[in-house]
Amino acid sequence: MASLFKDPSKLSAYRDRRFSGTQEEFERALQTSTTVYIGNMSFYTTEEQVYELFSRAGEIKKIIMGLDKNTKTPCGFCFVLYYSREDTEDAVKYISGTILDDRPIRVDFDWGFQEGRQWGRGRSGGQVRDEYRTDYDPGRGGYGKLVQRELEQRQLVDYGTGSLGSFPPVMTPYYGRHGGSHGHGGYHRHGRDYHRKRHRDDDRHTNDSSRRTLDHESRRNSDPDSRPEKNPRFRESGDSDEDEEEYDRKRRS
Amino acid sequence: MSSWRSLLLRIGDKCPEYGTSSDFKEHIETCFGVLRRELEHSTNDILPFLLQCAEQLPHKIPLYGTVVGLLNLENEDFVRKILENTQTNFQDALDSENCDRIRILMRFLTAMMCSKVLQPASLVVVFETLLSSAATTVDEEKGNPSWQARGDFYVTCILSCLPWGGLEFVEQVPEEIERVMVGIEAYLSIRRHNSDTGLSFFEEYDDESGKDASEKDFLEDLWDRIQVLSSNGWKVDSVPRPHLPFEAQLVAGKSHEFGPINAPDQPEPLSQLAGVLYGKQKHHAELKYCQRIHRLNIFPASKTEDMEPIDRFIMEEYLLDVLLFLNGCRKECASCMVGLPVPFRYEYLMAETIFSQLLLLPQPPFKPIYYTLVIMDLCKALPGAFPAVVAGAVRALFEKIADLDMECRTRLILWFSHHLSNFQFIWPWEEWAYVLDLPKWAPQRVFVQEVLEREVRLSYWDKVKQSIENAPALEELLPPKGGPNFKYSLEEGKERTEQHALSAELIIKVKGRQTAREIISWVEESVFPHHGLEAALTVVVQTLIDIGSKSFTHLITVLERYGQVIARICHDQDKQIMLIAEVSSYWKNNAQMTAITIDRMMGYRLISNLAILRWVFSPANTEQFHISDHPWEVLRNAISKTYNRISDLRKEILTLKKSVVSAEDAAAKAKAELDAAESKLTLVDGEPVLGENPAKMKPIKSNAEKTKEEEISVRDSLEAKEALLARALDENEALFLSLYKNFSNVLMERLPDASKAQTLGALKSIQADEMIVDLDESSEMEVDNENGRPKKSQSNGEKASNVYKVGDKEQWCLSTLGYVKAFSRQYASEIWPHIEKLDAEVFSENAHPLFVKAVYSGLRRPVIETSSS
Repeated sequence: MASLFKDPSKLSAYRDRRFSGTQEEFERALQTSTTVYIGNMSFYTTEEQVYELFSRAGEIKKIIMGLDKNTKTPCGFCFVLYYSREDTEDAVKYISGTILDDRPIRVDFDWGFQEGRQWGRGRSGGQVRDEYRTDYDPGRGGYGKLVQRELEQRQLVDYGTGSLGSFPPVMTPYYGRHGGSHGHGGYHRHGRDYHRKRHRDDDRHTNDSSRRTLDHESRRNSDPDSRPEKNPRFRESGDSDEDEEEYDRKRRS
Repeated sequence: MSSWRSLLLRIGDKCPEYGTSSDFKEHIETCFGVLRRELEHSTNDILPFLLQCAEQLPHKIPLYGTVVGLLNLENEDFVRKILENTQTNFQDALDSENCDRIRILMRFLTAMMCSKVLQPASLVVVFETLLSSAATTVDEEKGNPSWQARGDFYVTCILSCLPWGGLEFVEQVPEEIERVMVGIEAYLSIRRHNSDTGLSFFEEYDDESGKDASEKDFLEDLWDRIQVLSSNGWKVDSVPRPHLPFEAQLVAGKSHEFGPINAPDQPEPLSQLAGVLYGKQKHHAELKYCQRIHRLNIFPASKTEDMEPIDRFIMEEYLLDVLLFLNGCRKECASCMVGLPVPFRYEYLMAETIFSQLLLLPQPPFKPIYYTLVIMDLCKALPGAFPAVVAGAVRALFEKIADLDMECRTRLILWFSHHLSNFQFIWPWEEWAYVLDLPKWAPQRVFVQEVLEREVRLSYWDKVKQSIENAPALEELLPPKGGPNFKYSLEEGKERTEQHALSAELIIKVKGRQTAREIISWVEESVFPHHGLEAALTVVVQTLIDIGSKSFTHLITVLERYGQVIARICHDQDKQIMLIAEVSSYWKNNAQMTAITIDRMMGYRLISNLAILRWVFSPANTEQFHISDHPWEVLRNAISKTYNRISDLRKEILTLKKSVVSAEDAAAKAKAELDAAESKLTLVDGEPVLGENPAKMKPIKSNAEKTKEEEISVRDSLEAKEALLARALDENEALFLSLYKNFSNVLMERLPDASKAQTLGALKSIQADEMIVDLDESSEMEVDNENGRPKKSQSNGEKASNVYKVGDKEQWCLSTLGYVKAFSRQYASEIWPHIEKLDAEVFSENAHPLFVKAVYSGLRRPVIETSSS
């Protein structure tokens, strides 16, 4: 409808390097796709939250959470597949830039999900952008991986639980400094309604069941294998030694 | 973007293209100056772009009109082409019934008339053509009054031109325009008053027939506003008149003529003015020529009092057009909306207009989430003013929530929860803490509860709990925090039954990656014979759902892998209902997962829509109808999924039909080629032989065969799809038949006798307690039961309990009737084709009149012909 202010052929300013076809094929894929890519999500956002939000643009066929290839836990992106193109366009138009779980998320047309694309492409398993970040982002595991490693070496980060390779578990104290503008309490994720995820344990993922537990309280107070922020998947672990690539950077204004 | 483009696009805006100036005159001069230079080389680019700007930025039409007027002084030929193009577009729009385009092109023509480009008399001819078409349509003998929506639309378009050019018409062609006005008055006297019943935001409880007649419909209201405008000497603050400073120049331009236009053919006259056919055609016409706004008055009139009546209409036009044309351009949309060229503030009007669209019945032009986004963006664009206005709108709507249409309530709940999720869930909940003292069916209490539920879905329980810390008692209204309710969970101290063992066995099989077939044989050989069907069903369903309980994806995976096991056990409707009951028991603490699971199961065709419907109308759910959205959510999903399937089929058929045509063409062409080749005389060995030489014949022949085969195969798939559609439509008929029968039955059980409650108002004023004690005293209570609204007492600390006077049963009836209306309205187009059957089987004399009334109102069906069909 509104053709004056946008160039309809310019669907996306960036290009997924993993797409094997030509630029034209890439653009055609974007123009007919019924898949959206969602970025800048919190690691703690669940599929059901995504469902609630994105079903407001139309009937959802599938949701594929982006996972850290080492820990198999959500690492801040996902794909939503719709049935109709119109709904896909509406998701991009109306949801991109709005807030999910206190974060402005990005919604873009995606050329189509393929097995393997659910894994983070960063060296440490998550998304590339979380390798090099220097800010502290409690919704995405604290500092970027590189900074974290450095802090770790200098013993500046107290993990409390002592579980290596984990994220700083102490949220609230940091929150005041880094996210003060929210003015609305901290990230009290511990009490989160994770029961349905807590009760069961998918044995295919038991290897990481104790990792990335966000806070001590829930570990102390509830069943030992509670994994609050985890969202293990029901799929086989695929090999995912993909080259780094990021779906990031400048998008159309 | 080359500079003439951006100048045209940005004219009238405060923007770098025009430096610091915000003076329209300077903008026009600058823009005209550049266009004049470019015209020589870029005519072919400028013309379509200028027209596009005028059509898509209609609030700038006076500016574009003036630019065209100035160009007319330089290049008459260019302007003649603009008019010719506009004429073609206008005729196209009329023929294709493109309402927005018709309306906007007429405004553009008016603006060009103001800048002396177009002779006013030509425009009057356009008006008269449309007016005469409208008058014929509503004529009972020559026309077809069921199509009044079209006539009304044409007349609305004519009246809509007057704020932009009324003064010029009166000055230049006083007699002609007077004739038009007289014609419109005559039209207004023969058309029927357009009853808004069924589409109004609020339920009318007063004397239901009387009030509606006295309230003006949209056209009557516009006519009144135009009358006031006329008596004010056609002065309008909200329409810029940028042509005035250039008038001395403009008069020198050539005034072009505008060729005649043709109104589309009249619809076939109807043999009778009542009955089903009339209703169907009326529905069809109203879909095509729908009214783009229903006014929602939520703020006191004092908030908009510095406007003239016509200003409101104009502002709505501006805002709706920005919403329409700048959909998808967030920044532009928000900045246009806040920067309209008017000399007064309009935040309240803007909020009312956006809310009127968000809640528009039967459907807003765009998905509700679009308006959600616009409201967010406006809150950010006007941080000092708009959030407070939005909050005021919420409070006002909350006050009237008991009267708000059911569909609107649902949309409001979805919008509000989503809105709050974008603003850190900050809301002064303490203002509404009193709803806890209301009975659990009180609409305000239900509203708060549903908003909180949706907030939890968008976020998480503790976050929402924290957001209500100013009114901690409201925690009572939060959804349960608990997780799944697995029958066979292995908790310590809990007794382990045989079924626990079976469940554990099944889990091991799934973990061992046994196939669905293997599990089916296990069920059929080991479970079913020894434990019975019910146990088999419970174990399998509970266990599989539990395995898929971690996330939406887990659910899908388990259903894809083991759906057949469920299908084998739940092969008929009764078993499917048991299946749904198990799902609902497993997810009793999580309404979202209940709804999603049922929806997916319908998606995999493990359960039918009829089974879902029967489950929704089971006693346990029916009891919840007025206190929870949960059963309705499941029902809405089931019907909308059915509808989506049908729409998809229709789309596929449309595409296939096109493919058939092109395949036929290709085949015919190939055949003709073959025939030509065969009839050609070729010399073989000196002898003339019929037919092309074999080497050439072969590819021609095979091409003919191939295209023919393709044609046949496309035809086949079309036939297959059409058969599927026919079946889907039959199923749809069964669905609506069952839906209405169920509604009718549950309502019949609970509605008071028709003689005691003939209107919703009467139903509402029945007191639950008094029903038992003394029916006659109910009138006495009506005094403090004004509108049935709870009296909010913020000042006195008095407990507000029992302030909501509508009883449990009465509220149940009111809510359910509200949903009857909402479903009928939303799916009216799907219901009308089956109306004869529904009339015969459901909407008969035996049905409760209030039920029939709700259906009719939702279908916007004239009531006169209740029993004539």
